[in-house]
Amino acid sequence: MTLEPTTLQLKKLVLDKGLCTQCGACHNLCPHYLGHGDRTVVFHDCDKTSGACYEVCPRTPTNLEALRQVMFDPADITAELGALKGLYITRASDPSIRGKAQHGGTVSALIQFALKEGIIEKAVLAGEEEILLPAGRGFSDPERVVDAAGSRFVVSPTVAAFNELAREDIETLGVVATPCQAMALAKMWISEVSRIHEASKKIGLVLGLFCGWAFNWKKLKNLLAEKLELETITRMDIPPSRFHSMIVETRDGRVEISIDELRDCVRPSCNYCFDMTAEFSDISVGSARLPSGWDESRGWNHLIVRTEKGQKLLEMARDAGCIEFHDVPEENLDRLKTAAAGKKREAAARLAQKSGTPGDLLYVPADDPLLRDCLTIP
Amino acid sequence: MNRLSEDNTGKTLLLMGNEAIARGVIESGASVCAGYPGNPSSDIIDALVKESSELGIHVEWFVNEKVALEVAASAAMVGLRGFAAMKQNGLNVASDFLLNLNLSGIRGGLVLAVCDDPSGISSTNEQDSRLFARMGELPLLEPSDFQEAKDMVKEAFDLSETLGLPVIVHSVTRLSHARGNVSLGSIRKSDKTPYFDRSKPFINVPAPARAHLRLKEKMVRCLEIIEKSPFNSYTGPERPELLIITAGAGRFYCEEAIHNLAAENRVGLLNVASTFPLPRDLILKRLALASTVLFVEEGGPFLEEGVKEIYADHVSDLGVLKLLGKSTGELPSTGELNPDLIIDLLSQQLGIQRKKRPGEYQQGLSRAASNLVPARDLAFCAGCPHRATYWAIKKALALDGRDGFVCGDIGCYGMGSGPAGWSQMDTMQAMGSGTGVASGMGLLDSFGLKQPVIAVCGDSTFYHAAIPALINARQHESSFLLLILDNSATAMTGFQPHPGLGKTATGKTAPAVGLEDLCRAIGCPVETVDPYDIGKTTQSILGNLESPGVKVLVLKQTCALVRAKQGLPPSKVKVDQKKCIGDSCGCSRFCTRVFKCPGLIWDAGTGTARIDEAMCTGCGVCVQICPERAIVSEEA
Amino acid sequence: MMELRKDPFNVVIAGVGGQGNVLASLILGRYFVGRGGKVTIGETYGVSQRGGSVMSHLRVSRKKQFAPIIPKGDADLVIALEPVEALRVLDDFGNPDIDLIVNMRPVYPMAVLSGECVYPPLEDIKDAFRLYSRHFWTINATAIALELGKAILANIVMLGAVLETRVLDIQEAFFVETLKESLPKTSIEINLRAFHDGRKGLLSGK
Repeated sequence: MTLEPTTLQLKKLVLDKGLCTQCGACHNLCPHYLGHGDRTVVFHDCDKTSGACYEVCPRTPTNLEALRQVMFDPADITAELGALKGLYITRASDPSIRGKAQHGGTVSALIQFALKEGIIEKAVLAGEEEILLPAGRGFSDPERVVDAAGSRFVVSPTVAAFNELAREDIETLGVVATPCQAMALAKMWISEVSRIHEASKKIGLVLGLFCGWAFNWKKLKNLLAEKLELETITRMDIPPSRFHSMIVETRDGRVEISIDELRDCVRPSCNYCFDMTAEFSDISVGSARLPSGWDESRGWNHLIVRTEKGQKLLEMARDAGCIEFHDVPEENLDRLKTAAAGKKREAAARLAQKSGTPGDLLYVPADDPLLRDCLTIP
Repeated sequence: MNRLSEDNTGKTLLLMGNEAIARGVIESGASVCAGYPGNPSSDIIDALVKESSELGIHVEWFVNEKVALEVAASAAMVGLRGFAAMKQNGLNVASDFLLNLNLSGIRGGLVLAVCDDPSGISSTNEQDSRLFARMGELPLLEPSDFQEAKDMVKEAFDLSETLGLPVIVHSVTRLSHARGNVSLGSIRKSDKTPYFDRSKPFINVPAPARAHLRLKEKMVRCLEIIEKSPFNSYTGPERPELLIITAGAGRFYCEEAIHNLAAENRVGLLNVASTFPLPRDLILKRLALASTVLFVEEGGPFLEEGVKEIYADHVSDLGVLKLLGKSTGELPSTGELNPDLIIDLLSQQLGIQRKKRPGEYQQGLSRAASNLVPARDLAFCAGCPHRATYWAIKKALALDGRDGFVCGDIGCYGMGSGPAGWSQMDTMQAMGSGTGVASGMGLLDSFGLKQPVIAVCGDSTFYHAAIPALINARQHESSFLLLILDNSATAMTGFQPHPGLGKTATGKTAPAVGLEDLCRAIGCPVETVDPYDIGKTTQSILGNLESPGVKVLVLKQTCALVRAKQGLPPSKVKVDQKKCIGDSCGCSRFCTRVFKCPGLIWDAGTGTARIDEAMCTGCGVCVQICPERAIVSEEA
Repeated sequence: MMELRKDPFNVVIAGVGGQGNVLASLILGRYFVGRGGKVTIGETYGVSQRGGSVMSHLRVSRKKQFAPIIPKGDADLVIALEPVEALRVLDDFGNPDIDLIVNMRPVYPMAVLSGECVYPPLEDIKDAFRLYSRHFWTINATAIALELGKAILANIVMLGAVLETRVLDIQEAFFVETLKESLPKTSIEINLRAFHDGRKGLLSGK
């Protein structure tokens, strides 16, 4: 443990190493951090040697085992996908929600349901702050939840919004979180800093999102601006990798962009991420895969239930009729596991390269039992 | 209250050296007095301003020292008496004019009071301005106490008129800002009618060398007068064990040392009225009766080297002398003098034990002091707009993320270079140089300089010297952001007026030369924001760092001390003691540890922040920075 | 004429920028000039006014005009408007025979205000005064001044206290004259009250 100010430690370990995911956990937690565009900046150095930021940052050394023990039933844990009580394929029953959503609309439907039922008082969702740049916002009106529907391709500092809302006179918040954001929220649970712990008690529900990588905002903007008028964008999507492209719908038509061009725009920190399926949440949602092909599966979501809370929510939503289910093809679980393990291996290789030492994976303990299992599976 | 214009010959007043100089100007019947604020000289013109209407003299602050000297010289060109006062750096600014005026001469009297600042206590540099007298071959008088500060100004005017040359009267902080007994003389009123005699123009061309020859002749005459000056003095035995030659404020310390060691019978003290030209014959006479000579003077070894020149010319007559001073290392060659230096040196030279404090007392006290006495850092006043400005600059540069830097300038905001402004100023030299240097930096992107450049400049500084640099920047399309910190004041030196304020030194209304108008006329995009609005200011700075070319952002908010004087009722700000979560606030006392306003203090007892009502001016900036929003502003 | 315990008699008036240090030294100086003395006052000026330490060196002599800086260890009386400033002055200019009169109200330096260091306990400072002076007096000049309505009156309160200590030979009637000559007409009354309250507010430390 060094005696440097925590801001300096975080700068060295995370920001200067290019690991920062812009999850926003340090923003609004401490005024020494500022978010600007999709960057996090240290405004001033503090004089605490063990600050809250270090505890919650998903890219400081993290005790994954401790998190799993607190959050999950050990019987449910899988090496590749985290805790898995069940894998489902779902979508929102309400077609108007599906119309606004990215794929199946499951996230919007579940959040809307949770708000209506009073399971959560407010939801922290990513809205668009500037063109292509999202920011977290609190929603208390279930009807307005669809306004935040749709994937974001640049990371939203949603945890910053959570930090702000947690100060209000609210009992429970629900958060729709990317894997890194979910990790930050999970770390709050086990924090010994009382202020953080108090805030974590307000986490009523974490709805994780599957995530491969995100884009750097400026680079994405510049690339798209060459090909179209940014203000005319109505929808964006990245179909399964075999399509090798990103689709942008605009008022003036449809533009297809090759993944090759977009590779340069990927946010570098995403290359060091282990978590494809947002393992540290109650429920995780991604886009589904069906044998009939993308045209059908694009309207459905994969859904992983991880906790009792998540299980209960799904059952209640099912019973209330706001979620519809589809059979899950047998091979889907294995395919997901393979994809997830692949991301872990790539991340491990890149981290070892960055640290310069094969056994040193920077923020992740290389001797974590589950990780080891994943890495040895061919 | 005693007034400097009191017509009370013979009365003794306690006057500041600068006030004594001002009184000397009044007793000399000067008509025009000019200057630019700069410590330790500002009080001279400040004092004259107060008396100007009473005495019918024209006293004014000018935009810079060159113009001030030109104005004072204009009076002398038409037969009136003119006076200019400035600090050391001011003489640098005025020097081009002075080094022409010495050759073209004047008709009436012109006295230039130059106040040096040894150690640079209130300056950006340390210099010995007396070297200008040598360079310009002008008479340089050195008053050595408060009475002389007054009387030698009168002598200077007479000398100036006799020779047709400007005369420099030299002072230093310890004379200018110290106070002592001064017996008043009678006030003289000018009886001359100004007239420009076209048959005697003041021009050096086409043959400056000829004009130079005329100057040399004048200085020969000057030496004759200086040799006989009543302000040269010698005290002590005819053949002293140690001869001290001194001038100016140095004399105080010599007399103090001689008194302290009771060495009156062993030490001879020669005090010279002028260090250029030195009274050669007088000096030779005293050197002939001495074997060891010590030179004591503030500044560099100016007197010392001058005497050594004289000695070198007569070494065969004088034989070997032991010479002690700054150039040989017995006295430090940098920094201010103090009595202890001279006492210790004399004690060593004469073998006299100096009375010392008991060792135990000394040690115990030093220990207690180091344990108990905290350092007092400089801070901006409570409510100072500069604090808010530097906060916004720091934030904007952090958000921009390209390692931007700040070229700075002189004024209260100069403290931005230190902890008071979070070290947000990276260069500082002369008045207006921030803009000049920034305009150079803004041209270096073709060499690969990618860092954004900011210049900060105060309103008074802007009028003084930044305008030519800004014109230049526009013409050469240099890329930087000029922040003009317009607090409607020349605050650091005592709130003298500047051209943007629309009033004269005596408080009468005058046409205002608008700052934003000037910038627009130069062709720069100009925006104005209130630095108290941190969010907007930060955004404005940030936005302007992206675009090419020179842009001006005026940060306009009145100086907190000016507001206090205007009696504007402050809005009340307070810390909601329930919302302030003290040390549990993860920010580690962001408000008090980082923001550091004297109006917002840490109450160790309650473990929370608190407003000090005696200091808070209600500017409301802290309201915007508290992460818990615990600081609130109540409308008064 | 005036009596001086020592010639020159060396007084240091110390405080923090903005406390009215200069006016206090001026009034005291004018008094002694009016009594026929030769007075030199040296000040620290300029940037120090922005929250920094301020010191006036006041030398009174019947014989000569002395230098504007007191030699180290040679002060006879310290009039301090602030507690740690008194100690700071003592460190350089004190000696076992020195007298001290101190306004015990702290003015916190920025380092203390910001929580970076702690202001020393007043009792510890007083202990140092006790050990390193011949005699010391304290007074809550700022509290007295605030009761009269303005903190800035503390410097005049101090002058009243100085008279009361009898360290300097000050004749009240003449001193009051000097006060009246040195202040704007509209504020003479309140300043005279401050002066008198200062005489009453003196507390002995030894």
